[in-house]
Amino acid sequence: MSVADLARYELAVPRALSEACALLAARVASGEPTLLCAGGTDLLVELGMAPPLAAGARPPLCVDLSRLPELRAVERLERDGARIRIGAGVSYLTLGRHELVQGALPLLARMSHDIGGPTIQARGTLGGNLATGSPAADGVAALAAHDATVVLTSVRGERRVPFAGFQTGYKRSVRQADEIITAFELEPLAPGSPWCWRKVGARQAQAISKVAFAAVAELEGGRARRFGAAMASMAPVTATLPATRALVLGTPLADLDGEALDRAVAADTSPIDDIRSTRAYRAHCARALARGFLRELGAAV
Amino acid sequence: MKIELTVNGVVRTLDLPPLVRLLDVLRGPLGLTGTKEGCGEGECGTCAVLLDGEPVNACLVPIGQCDGRMVVTVEGLAVDGAPGALGRAMAEHGGAQCGICTPGMMISAEALLVARPAPSAAEVRHALGGNLCRCTGYERIVDSVLRAAAARRGAGEVGP
Ligand SMILES: Cc1cc2nc3c(=O)[nH]c(=O)nc-3n(C[C@H](O)[C@H](O)[C@H](O)COP(=O)(O)OP(=O)(O)OC[C@H]3O[C@@H](n4cnc5c(N)ncnc54)[C@H](O)[C@@H]3O)c2cc1C
Ligand code: FES
Ligand code: FES
Repeated sequence: MSVADLARYELAVPRALSEACALLAARVASGEPTLLCAGGTDLLVELGMAPPLAAGARPPLCVDLSRLPELRAVERLERDGARIRIGAGVSYLTLGRHELVQGALPLLARMSHDIGGPTIQARGTLGGNLATGSPAADGVAALAAHDATVVLTSVRGERRVPFAGFQTGYKRSVRQADEIITAFELEPLAPGSPWCWRKVGARQAQAISKVAFAAVAELEGGRARRFGAAMASMAPVTATLPATRALVLGTPLADLDGEALDRAVAADTSPIDDIRSTRAYRAHCARALARGFLRELGAAV
Repeated sequence: MKIELTVNGVVRTLDLPPLVRLLDVLRGPLGLTGTKEGCGEGECGTCAVLLDGEPVNACLVPIGQCDGRMVVTVEGLAVDGAPGALGRAMAEHGGAQCGICTPGMMISAEALLVARPAPSAAEVRHALGGNLCRCTGYERIVDSVLRAAAARRGAGEVGP
């Protein structure tokens, strides 16, 4: 434990996104190590477990993201087909309570109640969930099911990355060191459309997922005209299930074959044995969760 | 870093390294040892305090993020220096045994009761989901919170 080392860190508290980006750019340009802190629910745990700092070593500068108004808003983008922009620094507590989120992104609102417990939900953010890069991240699975666009901001301006292009490997992404994840843009789900959020864990609260499943669908004429799905803890990155999506989108629901669905899910995932679960149990859950949702959509699987 | 925050209604001005945990500031310089440390990594909830009215784990909050904010600890739940309905219910109905989890349980329960004065047992369980207890088996804690809720409604007692 190196909690005592916390007394050696400094904190910069920018009040605007432009100020934070300028500071980060200068730090990165001069090669000085820098940490970002939003809700701190991953960062403080990580720092507490880090090996002790060497005597006399200068710790990285920590930059506080919690005072940036640009990261805290939830709004409908009227000019952009009514997509919804969620600030990367919005807490799960706010997300779960937000009327716009409850109405247009019910899966996201529901997922927010399943992160840790209420004390984690009051502090944790989607930006932190994505930046940490854990394949078990629940919020990231929910973003992936919506094919969220990730908005990154730096002194060079804003760029938008489709979710499918964001993660590049275990804890790796296209985010540059001087970029701040500022927001996520999501397509609202048509009112009354089916969606599914299931977290399989040892306990309802405070348990990292053995498997989590997030899915949304919009149906028309016996087919899915929209189908987005993702799984946590089923691959080195968030599993975005491309084969499963292609199968469901390309087949009338009445013709969908359960075994073909199982094969697609297996092709899309690569579960492992670890302290939380086994490869076999995870594979079983993934098949059952996918079939369960497809049955809800009217497929005989 | 200079930090000004309100703790249990009193404005405190501090000059501290900004990444020191709120938990250590409460228990150290502020002398408020009601808030406990269990796991030190967000799992057990015994360090819970209200930060601007929401329950958070004080072991995961750097003091530098608390400037200008309001903190309520278990000491701040006292009414005229004595336990309020929640503290009394925990003591009288077996909600506290060894007592280590009790401050965090009371903070989470307080946040719930302010938002929902007449919660269901399921809502109490959800609100306490981040608070672990190794003694009671939880039943008596849930029961104590429900009794406290009823007592508060009857007496018109409100939280701090
Ligand atoms: C007890 C406990 C239970 C938990 N339960 C769950 C759970 O059920 N499901 C789950 O998915 N997670 C869980 N977590 C993990 C954690 O709470 C989440 O990942 C949370 O979303 C992290 O957000 P944060 O704002 O606290 O991140 P922080 O700790 O502030 O930051 C985490 C990392 O992300 C970086 N970062 C933060 N914001 C940004 C940004 N905007 N741009 C760029 N980089 C950024 C930081 O530099 C840091 O490296 C749990 C954690 C604890 C301690
Ligand atoms: S000591 Fe903070 S959650 Fe356990
Ligand atoms: S009373 Fe002992 S841990 Fe809860």
